[in-house]
Amino acid sequence: MELKEKILSSYVAFENDLNTNSDIHEIRSKALQNFEDLGFPSKKLEAWKYTSLNSVLKHDYSLFPDNDTAVELADVKKYFIHDIDSYKIIFIDGKYSSFLSETTHDGMDVCLMSAALTKAKYKPIIENYFNKVAKQDNMTSLNTAFATEGAFIHIPKNVEVEKPIQIINFTTGKENATMLQPRNLVVVERNAHVQIIERHQSLTDNAALTNVVTEIYTDTHATVDYYKIQNDNINASLVDNTYIEQQKESTCSVHTFSFGGNITRNNLNFYQKGEHINSILKGITIIEGKQLVDHYTLVHHIEPNCESHQDYKGIFNDRSTGVFNGKVVVEKEAQKTNAYQQNNNVLISDKATINAKPQLEIFADDVKCSHGCTIGQLDEQALFYMQQRGIPKKEARALLMYAFANTVLESVKIPEVKKRINKLIANKLGVNIGFDL
Amino acid sequence: MLKIENLHAQVEDKDILKGINLEVKPGEVHAIMGPNGAGKSTLSSVIAGNENYEVTEGSIELDGEDISELAPEERAHAGVFLSFQYPVEIPGVTVTNFIKTAINESRKAQGLEEMPAKDMLKKIREKSELLEIDRKFLSRSLNEGFSGGEKKRNEIFQMAMLEPKLAILDETDSGLDIDALRIVANGVNKLKSEDNAVVVITHYQRLLDYIVPDYVHVLHDGKIVKTGDASLALELEKKGYDWIKEEVNS
Amino acid sequence: MSKYTEDDLREELKTKEYEYGFYTDIEADKFPAGLNEDIVRAISKKKNEPEWMTEWRLEAFRIWQQMEEPEWANVNYEKPDFQAISYYSAPKQKPKLNSLDEVDPEMLATFEKLGISLEEQKRLANVAVDIVMDSVSVATTFKETLAEKGIIFMPISEAIQEHPELVKKYIGSVVPPTDNFYAALNSAVFSDGSFCYIPKGVRCPMELSTYFRINEGGTGQFERTLVVADESSYVSYLEGCTAPQRDENQLHAAVVELIAMEDAEIKYSTVQNWFPGDASGKGGVFNFVTKRGLCETNAKISWTQVETGSAVTWKYPSCVLKGNNSVGEFYSIAVTNNYQQADTGTKMIHLGKNTKSTIISKGISAGKSQNSYRGLVQIGPRAENARNFSQCDSLLMGNECGAHTFPYIEAKNKSAQIEHEATTSKIGEDQLFYCNQRGIDTEKAIALIVNGFSKEVLNKLPMEFAVEAQKLLEISLEGSVG
Repeated sequence: MELKEKILSSYVAFENDLNTNSDIHEIRSKALQNFEDLGFPSKKLEAWKYTSLNSVLKHDYSLFPDNDTAVELADVKKYFIHDIDSYKIIFIDGKYSSFLSETTHDGMDVCLMSAALTKAKYKPIIENYFNKVAKQDNMTSLNTAFATEGAFIHIPKNVEVEKPIQIINFTTGKENATMLQPRNLVVVERNAHVQIIERHQSLTDNAALTNVVTEIYTDTHATVDYYKIQNDNINASLVDNTYIEQQKESTCSVHTFSFGGNITRNNLNFYQKGEHINSILKGITIIEGKQLVDHYTLVHHIEPNCESHQDYKGIFNDRSTGVFNGKVVVEKEAQKTNAYQQNNNVLISDKATINAKPQLEIFADDVKCSHGCTIGQLDEQALFYMQQRGIPKKEARALLMYAFANTVLESVKIPEVKKRINKLIANKLGVNIGFDL
Repeated sequence: MLKIENLHAQVEDKDILKGINLEVKPGEVHAIMGPNGAGKSTLSSVIAGNENYEVTEGSIELDGEDISELAPEERAHAGVFLSFQYPVEIPGVTVTNFIKTAINESRKAQGLEEMPAKDMLKKIREKSELLEIDRKFLSRSLNEGFSGGEKKRNEIFQMAMLEPKLAILDETDSGLDIDALRIVANGVNKLKSEDNAVVVITHYQRLLDYIVPDYVHVLHDGKIVKTGDASLALELEKKGYDWIKEEVNS
Repeated sequence: MSKYTEDDLREELKTKEYEYGFYTDIEADKFPAGLNEDIVRAISKKKNEPEWMTEWRLEAFRIWQQMEEPEWANVNYEKPDFQAISYYSAPKQKPKLNSLDEVDPEMLATFEKLGISLEEQKRLANVAVDIVMDSVSVATTFKETLAEKGIIFMPISEAIQEHPELVKKYIGSVVPPTDNFYAALNSAVFSDGSFCYIPKGVRCPMELSTYFRINEGGTGQFERTLVVADESSYVSYLEGCTAPQRDENQLHAAVVELIAMEDAEIKYSTVQNWFPGDASGKGGVFNFVTKRGLCETNAKISWTQVETGSAVTWKYPSCVLKGNNSVGEFYSIAVTNNYQQADTGTKMIHLGKNTKSTIISKGISAGKSQNSYRGLVQIGPRAENARNFSQCDSLLMGNECGAHTFPYIEAKNKSAQIEHEATTSKIGEDQLFYCNQRGIDTEKAIALIVNGFSKEVLNKLPMEFAVEAQKLLEISLEGSVG
């Protein structure tokens, strides 16, 4: 049975376990209908021109994996940023693991979507924010139809969350192929500040497909720093759909570090709903083999006097493919917008491919918008220079690549995250050098 | 030549000029000095007709004609030249092309034929020599990538080309090293005659060593609070502006 | 350049309406509206074409019937009714004239108004003009000078008769009828156009130029141009377009194919000024053009275009850099005002080693217009050391227009070096005040700034065209800023 059919036919069984008389269920049913109409994306869609999910969709995924799997902390500790104190919302095969997690309701809510969707006290927030900024496209609709679990984070006004929140979704790989659809909601009120680290990790080489949706709302003068660490196993694919709505004077940054996985598609959408907003989108992609990473970004400038900064660096080896599709829209009212987009790529293999489409759509005249896109190689002279000074070629190349990607790391505010990324880059480049330059 | 009476002006509803009176006769050099924020640059912009400033009261006359309702280019055609503190960049338009256009537009306004190319070239050659400007410089895009000194020298070059009645030099000395300052001042002095006048707006006295003023006015809080001869500038250099403020406030 | 004075400009600036919007009353020999195989056969027969050409057209027509009109461009328009168009119209004159005296005086007057009278062209020397008036060429000059060098420059309809082996070999070789909807349509019904062949080692001593005009109301024009530059030859080809003012939309779907053989160079320059519709967005030409050039080893093709006209433009002059060390260039200025829509750019397909391409695109949007750059830079797996530099700058005038940039970059070779830059800017109030202060009024200041903005492209045009292009830029932006 085709995956789409399987998903549609399993919905009835899925419904049985839920309260079908809720508003949420209404939303789910509509989303399912939407997915039924649209189906999975194909390369015929302009938005998916360079990325085909066909190879990923052919597996016979288990949609509702067993949830009685025990995971030892020792086995998974390495996937945590463990050298800092943090809140943790941990899921194993889509089910919450209280044993590995550390949540809170003390002055804020760092807890579970399943609780937020069912408990009365969260109803106002769910009504105001759930599935509001998310686009009703195929993959998002699919997620919404099955949305039951994920992270729910609500930070009231003026609260500065003193430790970062880690959201990790583990796939045990107990079944041959597992599909997960986590749903996260982050609501950060006026003047509040939070840092979040998100990761998806398979524990075996069995096939996994995660279709995650995250909605983030940053109210006036709030700050959100979001880090996505993507270093999954080779048969794990990810479609990440992140939607961010910002109110005036807020700042939101999303850093995406893509090193692993089979096919990774990052749909990252920013909607600016007030003045003096700053949106920051950064990413480092280093991949090899037949990996594919596709960054599909949108920054929608709707109001005047806002900024956006995009900086994506990619290094592509073997037969890997990089896609960057960055779109900046500046509406008529959004005068004095300052939108900057940079995408730089290095190909280090004859078989690697880059497809880039940096787009500007501008309807306001008093704006500063620029984009730059380059594809090139490492500087041979610099390489020679370093070798001449005794640095072996492999290390010299690694250093150059690190320097190339480093502009993205400069804005990482959690030192431990930066350290971890440095280590991952060193691993990825196969060298044992510290990059703490 | 220039007669300003009780001039009040504001920008974004904020009063900047609060009753300026100034008369400049042909052949004279006036210096307008004053602390930051006194309204010096506003005064030059208002005389030149910058629409960001609103004149709320008073008059500006040039040769007996009220020019305060004229468009900036009409004032330019009447002989007002402003050397900008921050000259703008116009990519792709060469210095030569720009000045040629400016001259011919002014001539057109005066009902004159365009200046023949041969005369234009001759004049450009003459004036660029006067200001020690490299010929290569003339084919570069207007002010694009110019150093601070080059921009100011270019302003005075344009002044030499346009031969205005009234030249207002707004902070022309800022960003100039001593050699450039000497060249610029030298250019201004050579262009001066019995028929034209110069208003030098400056924060420091050093330009006035080269361009010696007949009158020095001190602008403070939107008004001319003190007028004297060249020696006033020296005094200001020595004692700063605080004593003036005190004098005004007491 | 010196011929054109400020006074000329001032005169020009007085006329707000489309100045070339007049209509020449020449009785036309015209087909009934509609398209089917019989019409295709009739067109071919009318032109006395050989069997292979008729078959080629019919094949293209069958392909076209299977295709759908493309919708991906960033333009909105009411699709033409292809059955409401007449596919053939020719002036009822003797098609071949030996001298200017034989040309219809009314037609000559038309050229006069366009500022391209043959008299003047002759005096200008070094420009041979092949005028296409409503699809059939009626006057060709300088043919003899060219013939001495072995250069063939003639209407393609004549070339089909006189040089069938050349036409047969190259037509459709760069833009096959299967390429796209409009290319297929053009292949089936093309009325006429120019054919140019430069023999081996010959440097064409003059700029070759063709002026196209749509004349008869409701007549679509389907030009077909084929330029073949044999090994080590050089040619510079100028194409200029003006169209009379009309209320109903007119379709223009041309195909231009360039073939630059080993070591050859082709420069193809266009000033396009089809009727853009009036200030309320009524009328105007639909310009759906397929232009593509093929470069063999060490060859170079350079496209330069100034696009000020048409209600809707859909045009991507492209280079297939097949041979090693070949070079492709694209220099473009696209101006849109009022309700105009332009979706234009280029494709640089790098197949050979050490291939180079440069793209400089300047988009100027004013009024309520939409101006899009759409480009593709593709580096094939065998294109070692391919280089591309792209720069797309947009200038917005007013707050009701849009500027869009859609560059596609696809690289499959690690030695590729690609740089793409795009900026958006406006004419600054400070720039205008500065110009005003120096005595330059706002309208003139805008012209000056726009010319500066467009300079890198204007500089690439042959002198005669640069002047015309500058005039056009100013005319098309009139009244666009307060």
